[in-house]
Amino acid sequence: MLVAVLHAPGTVFKEIAAGNTRVIGAVQRLTFLFILMPPIFSWIGSTYFGWRLGSNDPLYFDTTARVIISFFYADALILGYISTVLIARWMSKTYGGGKVATEKLFALFTVVVAPLCVASASHLYPQVFFNVLILIPAVMWSMTLLYRGLPIVMNIPPERGMLMSSSLVGWLLVAFVSLLGISAALWTYGFGPSLGV
Amino acid sequence: MTDFREIYHDGVVKRLVQFSIIWAVVGMLVGVWIAAELIWPGLDLGQFWLSFGRLRPLHTNGIIFGFGVSALMATAFYSVQRTSNVPLFMPRLAWICCYGWQVVVLAGGLSLLAGWTSTKEYAELEWPFDIAITILWVCFAVVFFGTIATRRIKPIYVSNWFYGALIIVIAMLHIVNNLALPVSLNKSYSIYAGAQDAVVQWWYGHNAVGFLLTGGFLGMLYYFLPKQANQPIWSYRLSVISFWAFTYTYIWAGPHHLHYSSVPEWVQSLAMVMSLILLAPSWATMINGIMTVSKAWRKLRVDPAMKFIVLALAFYGLATFEGPMMAIRSVNIVSHFTDWTIGHVHSGALGWNAMITYGTFYFMVPRMMGRELYSVRLANIHFWMALAGTMLYIIAMWGAGISQGLLWLSVDGIGELSYSFNDVMASMVPYYGLRLIAGIIFLIGTILMAYNLFRTMWGRHTVSVSPPDIVDEIHGTAHMPEPEPDFDGSTGREVPA
Repeated sequence: MLVAVLHAPGTVFKEIAAGNTRVIGAVQRLTFLFILMPPIFSWIGSTYFGWRLGSNDPLYFDTTARVIISFFYADALILGYISTVLIARWMSKTYGGGKVATEKLFALFTVVVAPLCVASASHLYPQVFFNVLILIPAVMWSMTLLYRGLPIVMNIPPERGMLMSSSLVGWLLVAFVSLLGISAALWTYGFGPSLGV
Repeated sequence: MTDFREIYHDGVVKRLVQFSIIWAVVGMLVGVWIAAELIWPGLDLGQFWLSFGRLRPLHTNGIIFGFGVSALMATAFYSVQRTSNVPLFMPRLAWICCYGWQVVVLAGGLSLLAGWTSTKEYAELEWPFDIAITILWVCFAVVFFGTIATRRIKPIYVSNWFYGALIIVIAMLHIVNNLALPVSLNKSYSIYAGAQDAVVQWWYGHNAVGFLLTGGFLGMLYYFLPKQANQPIWSYRLSVISFWAFTYTYIWAGPHHLHYSSVPEWVQSLAMVMSLILLAPSWATMINGIMTVSKAWRKLRVDPAMKFIVLALAFYGLATFEGPMMAIRSVNIVSHFTDWTIGHVHSGALGWNAMITYGTFYFMVPRMMGRELYSVRLANIHFWMALAGTMLYIIAMWGAGISQGLLWLSVDGIGELSYSFNDVMASMVPYYGLRLIAGIIFLIGTILMAYNLFRTMWGRHTVSVSPPDIVDEIHGTAHMPEPEPDFDGSTGREVPA
C-alpha cells in the first residue's frame, strides 16, 4: 500500500471515494507509521549528529530534552492531522461536499502527507538547510496531492475543490507557523536548546 | 435621474495602473538585486549608490509608494465613482495627483540613491519630499471625499470606509512622524529624541502597514471581490463591525516592534495584547472573503483573476496570524532581528498585497479597455509562478530565521555568545540563494503580467461608462457595488444589487 500511495495516488483517491473499505483500512494503518516517522528520525538525527544550524559546532541535547522535543513533535503532528480532518469535515458543507465519511477524510490526508512523512527522513541529518532543501519539493508534492485528491474524494467539481484546498492550505500554513511560534516560546522557557535568555 | 452626458473618469485610473505595474517591476528588480548582493557583496561594484544600504530603501519605497499607492489610488478612483454613481470630483486634480505622485516617487528614489535619508524606516525620504507628499495626499483626499460628498447613493459602501481610513490615518501618521528641523536641503533632524522617537517611528511604521498595506488593500478586496465573484459580500454587517474593530485596535500595536528595548515594559505589553486582539477583526474579514468567494466557484473556470484573490485570502490569513504571534514577547525574543521577520513581511507583501492587486488588475483592465485579456494562458502561468515564488520565499526565510534566532541566543559554558555575527551571516548564504531564486520566479511572473496587461491596453482608450440610471437614489443599497457595462458592452445589470 505504501508503494501505491506514493506511486499511484490517483487510483488510491478513486478507491477511497468509492468507499473501498479494504483500501481505506490499509491507508489508515499507514497513518500510524507516517506520524511516527518524523519524530523517530528527528530523535536519531539529534542523537548521532546534533542540530546543525549552519555554524561549525552542532548542538547536542541531553536525553530528557530529546524525549521532550520528540514527544511534542509527535503530539503536534497528531493534533495537526486530526484537526485538519475535522476542519475539512466542517468546511465540506460550504464547498458542496455534503456529509463525507470521516474515515474517507482520514485516508485522504494520509495520502496527502505521505511525501512529507517520507521526506522527513532528512531529519536523520538535522542540518537545517539540508532539511529545507529536501522538504520544499515534498511540500509541493503534498500540495499537488491535496489539490488533486480532495475533489475526487469529496466528489465535488475541481473548481470547488480548488477553493476548499486553498482554504485548507491557509489553515495548514497557520498550523505550521503556530508550531514555529510554540517551539520558539518553549525554547525561551528553557525546553530544548539552551539559550541565553 | 442621472445625466447620461456624465462619464466615469477612467483615463486617470488606467494611467495609475500603468505606473503601478512599472513600479512593481522596478521595485522587485531592485529587490532581486539586493537579494543577490547579500550573497555576492561585490555586486555593488564599489559604487555607493549601488550599496545595500541605499538600494534597500529604494526597494521598499518603490514597492510601497510606487506600486502599492499607485494601485490604491487607481482602485480607489475606479470604485468610488461606481459606488457613488458619480464621476470623480475635480478630475483635473486627480490627474495632478497621478503624475505628481510619480514625480515624487521617482525623484525620491533618486534622492535615496544619492544618500539623502532621514534614516526612519519606510519614511526615509527627506523633508522636501515629505512636504510634496503631504500636498499630493491632500489632493487625493479632496478628489476621493469630494466624490463621496457628491454621491447619488446615500449609504457609503464599505470599501470606501477602508479607503477613507487609509487617507485620513496615513495623513496623520505621515505628518506626525516626519516633523523635523531642516538644516539643509537634504538633511533634517527629527523633533523627537531617544525612545520617544522610536515609539513615534513604530507607531508610524506599523500603522503604515496597517492602514496602507492592510486597510487600503481591504478596500480593494471589498469592492473587487464581490464584483469578480458576482455575489454580494457574505456578511455586510460583519464587514462594518470588522472595520471599526480593525481601526480601533491597529493603532495601538506599533510598540511590538520595540520589545526588549528601553521603551517601558507596560507599553510593550499593551502593544502585544492589542496585537493579539487584532487577530479577531483580521480573520473576520478573511472569513467574509472566503465565504463570498466560495459561492462563486464556477468563475474559476473562466476567470484567472479569481485564483489570485483566493490565494490572497489564504496568505492574508497567514500573515495576520503570524504577525500577532510574533508580537508575543517570548516568541519575539527568538524571531526579532532575524529573517523570520523578512519572511513574514513578504508573506504579506507577495502573498496578500501583490496577489490581490494582480487579481484586481486582471479584472479591471479588460473591463476598462472593452476587450478580452490578451492571454488567459499567460495569466495562469503567472499565477503558478507567483504562488511558487511566495512559498519558496517564506519557507527559505523561516529556515533562515529560526537558525539565526537560535544561533544568536546560544551561549557557551561561561555565558559568552557561542557564535559571532559574521559566522551566523556566512551560514545564511544557502537560504539567501533560495530566496534569490524565489524572487526571480516572482519577478518573472510580474513581468509576464506587465506584458499581458500592456498588450491588452495597447492602442486603446478606456471605454466610456456612464453612471447607471438610479431610480431610488436615496435608498440605493450599499451591499453591492453598482454594476457597470461589461467588456462585451452589455449593461451588466445581471449582477445582483
